[in-house]
Amino acid sequence: MEAYDARSLCVIAEELSEEDEADDEEAFVMVQDSHTHTPDAFCSHCRVLTHSGAAAHTRHTLLALGPAAQQIKEELSHSRGKLSQKIVEMENFASNLEEIFITVEENFGRQEQNLEQHYNEVLQTLSQSHETRAAALGEQKSRALERLYGELLCCGQTLDASKQLIERAQGVHRQRDQRAFLQAVMSIMKRVEQFSSKEVDLKLGMSLDFDVPTTDLSDVRQMMDSINVLPAPSAPVMNPQICNSATDTSLHVCWSLFSDDTVEFYELYWRLISDDCTMEPLQDVSQLKVKETHCTVSDLLPNAQYELWVTATNTTGISPASERAVYMTVPSPPVIRPRQCVSSLDAALIRWDSGNTNPVESYTLEFRESDTDRSNTATESVVAIPSCECLVQLQPWKHYIISVRAVNTGGPSDLSEPVDISTAGTCFHLLEDTAHPSLSLSADGLTMFYLDEDLPLSHMTFSDSTFARCVAVLGDLVPIRGQYYWEIEVDEDTEYRVGVAYEDTQRNSYLGGNKTSWCMRHIVTPSRHKYEFLHNGWTPDVRITVQPRLIGVFLDYGGGILSFWNAALRQHLHTFSCRFLHRVQPCFALDNPGALRLHTGLPAPPMI
Amino acid sequence: MALTQVSSNKCSDGYQKVFEHDSSELKCKMKFAIYLPPKAESSKCPVFYWLSGLTCTEQNFITKAGSQQAASEHGIIIVAPDTSPRGCNIEGEEESWDFGTGAGFYVNATQEPWKTNYRMYSYVTEELPRLINSNFPADPEKMSISGHSMGGHGALICALKNPGKYKAVSAFAPICNPIQCAWGQKAFSGYLGSDKSTWELYDATVLAESYSGPELDILIDQGRDDQFLSSSQLLPDNLIAACSKKKIPVVFRLQQGYDHSYFFIFSFINDHIKHHAKYLNA
Repeated sequence: MEAYDARSLCVIAEELSEEDEADDEEAFVMVQDSHTHTPDAFCSHCRVLTHSGAAAHTRHTLLALGPAAQQIKEELSHSRGKLSQKIVEMENFASNLEEIFITVEENFGRQEQNLEQHYNEVLQTLSQSHETRAAALGEQKSRALERLYGELLCCGQTLDASKQLIERAQGVHRQRDQRAFLQAVMSIMKRVEQFSSKEVDLKLGMSLDFDVPTTDLSDVRQMMDSINVLPAPSAPVMNPQICNSATDTSLHVCWSLFSDDTVEFYELYWRLISDDCTMEPLQDVSQLKVKETHCTVSDLLPNAQYELWVTATNTTGISPASERAVYMTVPSPPVIRPRQCVSSLDAALIRWDSGNTNPVESYTLEFRESDTDRSNTATESVVAIPSCECLVQLQPWKHYIISVRAVNTGGPSDLSEPVDISTAGTCFHLLEDTAHPSLSLSADGLTMFYLDEDLPLSHMTFSDSTFARCVAVLGDLVPIRGQYYWEIEVDEDTEYRVGVAYEDTQRNSYLGGNKTSWCMRHIVTPSRHKYEFLHNGWTPDVRITVQPRLIGVFLDYGGGILSFWNAALRQHLHTFSCRFLHRVQPCFALDNPGALRLHTGLPAPPMI
Repeated sequence: MALTQVSSNKCSDGYQKVFEHDSSELKCKMKFAIYLPPKAESSKCPVFYWLSGLTCTEQNFITKAGSQQAASEHGIIIVAPDTSPRGCNIEGEEESWDFGTGAGFYVNATQEPWKTNYRMYSYVTEELPRLINSNFPADPEKMSISGHSMGGHGALICALKNPGKYKAVSAFAPICNPIQCAWGQKAFSGYLGSDKSTWELYDATVLAESYSGPELDILIDQGRDDQFLSSSQLLPDNLIAACSKKKIPVVFRLQQGYDHSYFFIFSFINDHIKHHAKYLNA
């Protein structure tokens, strides 16, 4: 078929080129004419080149050569377009035909095969019954002959005995000696009398009729009949669920039939499998009549298991039900918690809510660079995430769009609403559950307030993670040993401590007063502003002439550095050199009422 | 301005050299030390000028401070001049350790017999940079200054008197307010005469009070056990007060247990070179 297509195309192409040649010839003729009179117009009616004043075209519309060429070109391209469209249609039709051809061929082939198989079966059955009957006949024959022979023998013997007796009687009869005759004759006479009194059975001892057995050809007849009559279908077979065929509310179900079966329609049944089936009664069964061997069942619950089975029906009857298959709808998409997502230069920790009441199997995180040109950005995935958070390695100085899918055996859910992550700086939030009861946070979670009104101690509630003495709160950095930078905006008279602390820093001591925290402290004394760089209760003696209002904190695990900067002046204030053995968190504390405002997501200034 | 190489030693992948030249400003032969980092072989490097303290020559810093490793890493040329003219045969020149030879105080003397030769201010701010820029792979746009004690004073006044000329400035135990201390008063009255208003032109604290220009970021280290701190020769508090008032950013670190020696300088020179590198390599 393909070869035919190609040839037909060639033909069309040739025709086209022939047309072109014809055009060329005409044009050539025109050019020759132009030796005498150069044509300067085109008659749109006769479609020939002519002169503007030619008498032959007085009533026709004459066009200048330029527009005329343009117009004809357009017409030509229009016709070519139409033609090529037709070619496409023809090609489609040809390929359709080809498909139909193959299908019809296959169908007839199958029919032929069926027919041959059936007739073979019938012939086989007939020849079997022929053999059986021939054997029976042979047996009957040998049995009858054997018996007749026996009778013949018996008859001969009796004849011999009779002849002997007659001969002896004649011998006695010829006896001259009367005494001897009389002596002998009595016994012979007795025997002759005996003999002749015996009735000779001269009838055949057996029937000579043929024993004709009734031939049972009912099975053959049935077989012959069945060539044209459909059997009821056998139970269809449910296919296992195919990946990515389900949605959160629908399932695409497939099953197969045995190739010999003819089926008019199927009936599909399904039922929700409840997790605690022991508690609840079985769910209602739904049902749907289907022509094809697949069906999409909708209006289902997300992240739920359904059992499905199917029966096949044709004019003869209904098949038994198939085995029950368990399919699963995919989960609802998870919901990312943007406030709980933290990032740094080379990583982000993404957190989300499952979005499903039942547990799902795992989650998949997808991220791509947010670029104006979307086609250039490949989407990368992290798969098989067991919990509702994922640490993902990223490239610095990029913007990413990150989404999450929930996955179960049925497949992945739709994408969650995306979250935008920038790896230009450090983004984190404050851990409210660590905040001292007197410390309140603003709605955006970035400003800390220590209000003037002191709560009575009885009104404060402390948990294990709450700071109990220092009015402090911890931040939540990405848990990798990278580089981090953030800034804190402070007021002139605010007394504060800012820095880093181990996650498990003592909640009942002051920041900087122990070995688990490092911080810069500002103290207002009557004479001056005092700055301390506290760790384990010790500080170097440092004077700072310009009060920082924006403090930059730079943390570098690899370099073992925690440095403090006057961010507005880019002035280095102090550097702690220390090997951080565990994960540290940003820490913030207010030693008197006031406020601190955190600035995150900033790139570290170049001098750091 | 011919330069004569006095010595050259490979050091931290670069070269520590000493040159001698005839100074037009000081009218005598002067020596200076220069450290050329490996980077100077292929490109122009910023220059860090180091002014030494009383009694020092160009040798003290290069043999005791241990600055070469950090300079090599940051690609910075370090130039360390002598602390005064030498061999000018001025009467009284060699009489005391805190005046005359080895005690130029980085001023331009106005009084006889010093005014011809004792022009260390012009020498370190004009003549020496010209010489360096024309003879070495130095980036003339990128220079910074630091020093110790009298040299700390010199570094501070050079920076405060020439806004924008030096990209960074720092000091070790500088004489912060010379007009208020014995050393300064002796030197200034000798070199500048009795008119104290002329002294103020070379006093870091006074200069800070009237500074206007690009933002400075001054790093000062001071040993707490420095005998000259307790004998009120250095007076850092006055400078800190002036800078606090004028909002000139200073980080002043009082280092526990350290004295006035080069052991103290050695301990913190890396911090200072890093401080300078931040601005020189920006």
